[in-house]
Amino acid sequence: MIKAKNRMGLIFFPAYDWAIDPSHPEREERLLYTQDQLWEEGIFDIEGIHEFKPDIATEEDVMRTHFCFPDVRTVTTESHMISAGGAIKAARIVMDGEVDKAFALVRPPGHHAMKSVHGNRGFCNINNEAIMVEYIREKYGTKKIAIVDTDCHHGDGTQDVYWHDPNILYISIHQDGRTLYPGSGHVPELGGPCARGKTINIPLPPATSDEGFLYAIDNIVLPILADFKPELIINSAGQDNHYTDPITNMNFSAQGYAILNEKLNPDIAVLEGGYSIQGALPYVNLGIVLAMAGVDYSMVREPDYNYEALRQDRNISGYIEKVADAVLDAYRNPPKDKNAVKYGDYNVRKKQIYYDTDGIRESQIESVMACKKCPGVLHIESSSSANPLSFGIEIPFGACRSCRDEGLRVFRDAKDSRKYRTIHFINRFDKEYIRV
Amino acid sequence: MYLGLDVGGTHTDAVLIDNNKIVASFKAPTDHKNLLTSINRALAEVTKSVDRSAIKRINLSTTLSTNAIVENKTEKVGVIISGGPGIDPESFRLGDFFYVIPGSIDHRGTLIKDLESAGVKAALEECAGKNVRVYSLVTKFSTRNPGEEEYLAEKVGDQADFVSLGHRLSGQLNFPRRVGTAYFNSAVWRLYNQFCDAINESLKELGIDTQVNVLKADGGTMPLSLSRELPVETILSGPAASIMGIISLCDITDDSIILDIGGTTTDIAIFASGAPLVERQGISFASVPTLVRSLLARSIGIGGDSRISVQSGKVTVGPMREGPSMAEGGPVITLVDALNYNGTISYGNTAASKKGVDEAAKKAGMKADVLVKASIEFAVGFITDQVNAMLAEINDKPVYTIHEMLENRAIVPEKVYLMGGPAQGFARYLHASFNKEVIIPREYAVANAIGAALAKPTFQVELFADTSKGQLIIPNLNIREKVAGDYTVEQAEDEARSYLVDYCKRMGIQSSVKDIEIIESSSFKMVQGYFSTGRDIRVKCQIKPGVEGGIA
Ligand SMILES: [Zn+2]
Ligand SMILES: [Zn+2]
Repeated sequence: MIKAKNRMGLIFFPAYDWAIDPSHPEREERLLYTQDQLWEEGIFDIEGIHEFKPDIATEEDVMRTHFCFPDVRTVTTESHMISAGGAIKAARIVMDGEVDKAFALVRPPGHHAMKSVHGNRGFCNINNEAIMVEYIREKYGTKKIAIVDTDCHHGDGTQDVYWHDPNILYISIHQDGRTLYPGSGHVPELGGPCARGKTINIPLPPATSDEGFLYAIDNIVLPILADFKPELIINSAGQDNHYTDPITNMNFSAQGYAILNEKLNPDIAVLEGGYSIQGALPYVNLGIVLAMAGVDYSMVREPDYNYEALRQDRNISGYIEKVADAVLDAYRNPPKDKNAVKYGDYNVRKKQIYYDTDGIRESQIESVMACKKCPGVLHIESSSSANPLSFGIEIPFGACRSCRDEGLRVFRDAKDSRKYRTIHFINRFDKEYIRV
Repeated sequence: MYLGLDVGGTHTDAVLIDNNKIVASFKAPTDHKNLLTSINRALAEVTKSVDRSAIKRINLSTTLSTNAIVENKTEKVGVIISGGPGIDPESFRLGDFFYVIPGSIDHRGTLIKDLESAGVKAALEECAGKNVRVYSLVTKFSTRNPGEEEYLAEKVGDQADFVSLGHRLSGQLNFPRRVGTAYFNSAVWRLYNQFCDAINESLKELGIDTQVNVLKADGGTMPLSLSRELPVETILSGPAASIMGIISLCDITDDSIILDIGGTTTDIAIFASGAPLVERQGISFASVPTLVRSLLARSIGIGGDSRISVQSGKVTVGPMREGPSMAEGGPVITLVDALNYNGTISYGNTAASKKGVDEAAKKAGMKADVLVKASIEFAVGFITDQVNAMLAEINDKPVYTIHEMLENRAIVPEKVYLMGGPAQGFARYLHASFNKEVIIPREYAVANAIGAALAKPTFQVELFADTSKGQLIIPNLNIREKVAGDYTVEQAEDEARSYLVDYCKRMGIQSSVKDIEIIESSSFKMVQGYFSTGRDIRVKCQIKPGVEGGIA
């Protein structure tokens, strides 16, 4: 019998009775063939690998992280609460020491869901990783966490949630936004004024192969992680960089994904996208599970894998080397945010957000306190084609006392103003999550 | 009359049941060197004063295959497998004639790469040279496409007296388990068939001419004739015999805990709404996981003969067993001696128990009644913890749909059913520990033989249809058919059912329609780009485990 080097927990929740709509890529059988492959391989007979049932995330778990307009129930279904709950379960078994590593193989995905939620964007409603990270911070007090997003699409949702947070390092490797949804994720996007360099974007050109991805891991991601020294590494494990994925243009392979995982050595991985459900997911997931468990994965290959056909063009390699230099330079010497506008003690930015799946348009004014002692109290004034003017206030995790008082004041004033249909108040200082 | 015979590790038990009444029973130690002698004696004794022609059926639970494997008395097997991409198949090596052939089939059952014929040829030549006469042929995803296993069988040809093909043993996905199952099946085949011949011979001599079935680990039976091809199904049927016994003896309708306390071990089983639970994939045997269906039972290292030890004032019991209790002339004090001491039971030489406990207590520098109390508390506490852990695991079983996730009903046992030799002694302690009603059925001493006697047949088929390929397959029945593009899951359910019924008729498996149930059924639309290409339909159909009548 095979014995895993690492005790590994797999939270497998394929949601076989849920789809965005019947021919949408995010549909019932997305993980069916992955399950077939994992079972046929006898994954759960490997000593040290255990399957766990997801938790169901509570409304409080969501409200701790997001401003949901008009409320959590309206913008989520049970499937979202179970998917986020799967991520929470992964965190719990790792943090409680039940396993060394965990992989939440759950759907629907979450990395396009931003701080403020009016509906579904890029197949996502709520952000599974962010809900998990906030759960970890609240229950276990972990301070420094890195999220490395290896989905082919820029994780603009996770970037938005942690834009102002200097304690969460968010690194996204993705297909260049000039060639793919959602269009963002360029090197100069480096985080808010008080968290510069804690958001890192690595846009790779279409047709990047294993070679280019692993180059970016070795030469950008690992050095930055070594410098940041997180207590916990989380991988947003999207699988749409695969050469067979129908909605992207990359040339990454199952073997590449497994090697990437071994190099990155994440404590927790959470599935994101990946829509080549027959040709890629069964092999990529198998590779990731084996790599996390520390079991030999060298024979995991797609049946149609052809090294020659996927070999990376020299021009692409050269381009990626330049990207690496630019990213490392930006991380080490982040330039001042030219777009930041200061009103009093607040840094303010205006945002227009489009929810492609639901066709909702949202306008935001986001203000964050430029605080020297903590990430700073944050508030968002938001209105959309789905919701009238609403408001969200967050006293952040690790807030200083004056930011807490300021947050309480802003909340009181917002209520008194009677301007807002809904007000969400996230008070991490007193662990209070209120919607009025 | 139904005859049940259970050849267990310690005892061989037989009962004869007529009209829900036990008309004869027999119990004797098992002669491990000669199981057949034990069986013949039990058969002769239990039927000596009845009309043997009135015996309608004999159900037999035997450790023959189990022992053969444990004691390494199996035949050398040529294991020829092909894995394709995935975990290195070398990890599943079994026996000295193990060959991995390049080639692959994917999860849809599509042949990606033919088996390398040169490799097959070389493997077969080597096996022929070493006079290997039985083979196990298994390829990955053979339950989706058995073609390569059949190709191998063709190549083996006359070189084999017997071959096990992976897909005929189970429709479930799990390549390593399929390899293990096929290996054991061939390894015990010859020995098991000799045993079947001998049983038939014995029955003839006794003048018994009736249907003979064997018990399987899932608590069901199969005809002896059919088991000749599937001997692996007869391994580890012992715990199932006891579980089916308790169902025969008690009218269990609720969630319940079943405890069978033996000499060395205690077997735990859990019932949900009166029905025994089944292992998710199959039984693990000799540390090799298999696809042999089995009732969910856990064996823990505590029983009546478990040794009581004291180390710096701390009393523990088990998991060691060093001979029987002092009450039976053993060398060290055991739980039975402790229960004898405080008068809970009165078994064997109670004076020897008293003397032994007193001496042990003196040696440990503690009062005898304190030692007795502590050891019983330890044992009962250990059993309780293990039961609770098992329950937690069952209730935490993964599910894959939102519906199941939200509707999932937790199993909350209301009663404890207790059997086995020392059962009586533990009843009140377990009642206190679990805070649940504890029931000890009458006749619990031969519950296993009763369970064997009354167990009904079980069988399972798995149907897999892919309408884009226009194909349907039921691997273990060797059925492959064309299906139309508009084939539905309802049709698949009907077909699974009727193939199962048809097969049972042919094989002499007597089952009633009400015991046949569809246990899993799904239909997924397959989409290529934005167009639907067909449906992926999967149906599991079974004859569920159960007993015929009961003991009034
Ligand atoms: Zn994606
Ligand atoms: Zn502050």
